[in-house]
Amino acid sequence: MKTGFKRSAVVLALLALSTLAAAGCGDGGAGSGKVTVWMYPVIMDSKANAAYWEGIEKGFEAKEQGVDLRVEHLPWENRDQKLATAFGSGKGPDVVLLGPDQIPQYQATGALRPVDRAIEEARSAFRPNALEAMSQDGRVYAAPIYHTVTSTLYNRKLLAKAGITEPPATWDAVRAAAPRLKQAGASTLDYSASNEASLNMSFYPLLWQAGGRVFADGGGKSAFNSPEGVEALTFLVDLYRSGAVPRSAMNNANLFTDQALGRQQVAMGYTNTPADAALAERAWGKGNVIVGPALTGPGGQVCFGMPGGLGINARSANVQGAEKFIAYMVQPAQIESMGRAGGFFSPRTDVTVPHDSAYAKEYEQALDHAYPGEPNPAARQLMALLSPEIQAALTGKKSPEAALESAASAADELLARQR
Amino acid sequence: MRKAATDEIAPDEGDGPPGAGGPCADAKGAGPRGRGPRPAPAHAAVGARSGIPRRREALTGLAFVAPMLLLFIVFRFGPTLGAAFLSVTDYRLSGEWTFIGAGNYTRLLGDDLFWESLGVTAVYTALYVPMTVALALGTAVLLHRTLWMRGFFRGLFFLPYVTSIVLAAVIWKWIYEVQDGLLNASLRLLGAGPVDFLGSESLVLPSIAAASAWKGFGYSMLILLAGLQSIPREVTEAARIDGASGRQRFCWVTLPLLRPVLFFVLVIEAILGFQVFDAMYVMTAGGPVRASYSLVYFLYDSGFTFFDFGYASAVGLVLFAIVLVFSLIQRRLIGRDAD
Repeated sequence: MKTGFKRSAVVLALLALSTLAAAGCGDGGAGSGKVTVWMYPVIMDSKANAAYWEGIEKGFEAKEQGVDLRVEHLPWENRDQKLATAFGSGKGPDVVLLGPDQIPQYQATGALRPVDRAIEEARSAFRPNALEAMSQDGRVYAAPIYHTVTSTLYNRKLLAKAGITEPPATWDAVRAAAPRLKQAGASTLDYSASNEASLNMSFYPLLWQAGGRVFADGGGKSAFNSPEGVEALTFLVDLYRSGAVPRSAMNNANLFTDQALGRQQVAMGYTNTPADAALAERAWGKGNVIVGPALTGPGGQVCFGMPGGLGINARSANVQGAEKFIAYMVQPAQIESMGRAGGFFSPRTDVTVPHDSAYAKEYEQALDHAYPGEPNPAARQLMALLSPEIQAALTGKKSPEAALESAASAADELLARQR
Repeated sequence: MRKAATDEIAPDEGDGPPGAGGPCADAKGAGPRGRGPRPAPAHAAVGARSGIPRRREALTGLAFVAPMLLLFIVFRFGPTLGAAFLSVTDYRLSGEWTFIGAGNYTRLLGDDLFWESLGVTAVYTALYVPMTVALALGTAVLLHRTLWMRGFFRGLFFLPYVTSIVLAAVIWKWIYEVQDGLLNASLRLLGAGPVDFLGSESLVLPSIAAASAWKGFGYSMLILLAGLQSIPREVTEAARIDGASGRQRFCWVTLPLLRPVLFFVLVIEAILGFQVFDAMYVMTAGGPVRASYSLVYFLYDSGFTFFDFGYASAVGLVLFAIVLVFSLIQRRLIGRDAD
């Protein structure tokens, strides 16, 4: 009995333990001048990432005498869990890197403090959609320091093998290419259906391309079960059934090299980052990589792309220091160095990040169609409800209509609980 | 998570495996599940030093167990009470909460997802336990009979157990891969397949259970091996003289004598089965269509995706109750055997 007791106690203790583990940072004392920052591997190469932020620490501290900047590096994995437990226990860093989809939920719980004061000078220079993505109730909660973008990525060799000279840029073209690619022994479009994969990088772009939306106006109800949503899911399911989307898609989680696309078994992806293109160059050879415009569906041309920004913990003990740091990070010099080091694009219209990449032009163009997702405090939770239903449609357990319908009723229940 | 859970169990509790002292001692010494050395039973010390006043002895004993006791209270008993408290509140991310009595539990009873995940967990356990115990028993019997390089093979079979479950799950994910995984590539050579091991709702649980059995059988194997070694040679020799065949000796002599150890192994593995999480988290993220969405996964999602800590704690306590029942069965069965 004791054995069982202890074993289950362990499971039960996990919540409490992880709270303890995640909470031990960032209690900068007032006046001590310490500013802690939670940073993630925004620059994929961990050495380059560490070096970049060390440089920032030095540069900032030299400029702002008396402020002790401490950049703490955390992994992307479970970032919301860690942040949520840290905020929940009244701890957490002074400044944290945030994406637009994280802002509503933390703003709603009062964990964030507006950054308007810190970006006062640069305000008019930001891309309006970047600033809007970081805003809630008319106030900005994270200062954009970079902008990401995704677009289509094609394998020239596979397309050529199927005799396709024009990379499929629309849904119709994708459908038309599928049988020819199948004959050439390849699948057409890669997809990530794992519950782990963010829908921003899988289903939502298709939904937006169909002209649909995730949330109804006001955010209190879901809207993805609209005819546009059904059209998007049907497009995907038909491709999956015919083998044009490979079987392996079921457990994909947007990890390019792990997937059939990276392994040259699929001809194209539609939510690929500049980093994916760089990896593809290495894996497939330079001549085989094509970066195309954002995919076009019946409702328009849309890709996923969002700003990354710095937000301030509402319980920060050194708000002034935090604001100084943010004001420093949004200056043109830092935006440029950040973009160069991480392969990002500029969230400011007056700053262009010079890129060595051969595809910079294509990505800059895609940026015009970049949509940062629909902000909602329950955005991430809703994904956990919708993902399994998309899987049910893919496996044929449910029709696209029925799958979206049951996801929508669960989602509306969730949204009603949030109110 | 399960890694954490098993590590937590490390400095082990008083209730050791049943049967002859051999199995316990051996397994505990070797197990990286951390069944490390434990304090000698208090009564042994009492007998040895009868001159010292009882009270002082008790204090001395307490001093010896104090560090362990303190850790237990801080890291196990405390959190359990904390979870029990959370489970009757609607504790949210903001730190605000109100007492809602049995609200979380009644919600749980009406939650289809809870029953679904409980069903998945039960099926998984029903697959995982026989696989693991059969594998453990098979290798234990082989090792028991083998004298040549026994230590080497014992170490070899034990190796998966000390591998990180996350690492093992990543490798197994590759092995099961539908396009060019090791298994499907082999099947293709035989002209069969491809089989979508992790993408099919019916195959996903057996596939994950098999990977977990590979990873976890080493521990039970060691316990069973020690159990086998503690069976007196005379008994099997007597059976041999009576003309019993090898199979008869195994079925009618070895297995009955091994029963207490076997029961212990079954219960421990069943408890582990009910706590499954990390293999599913890494290999399928609960999919496809929640076909591998276990109870602990449900707990994890409730807490860390939906930030519904009160509800998650209620799930935790239900799991606690299930494990408690298993432990009571173990105690009853084994207690009877020990008598």
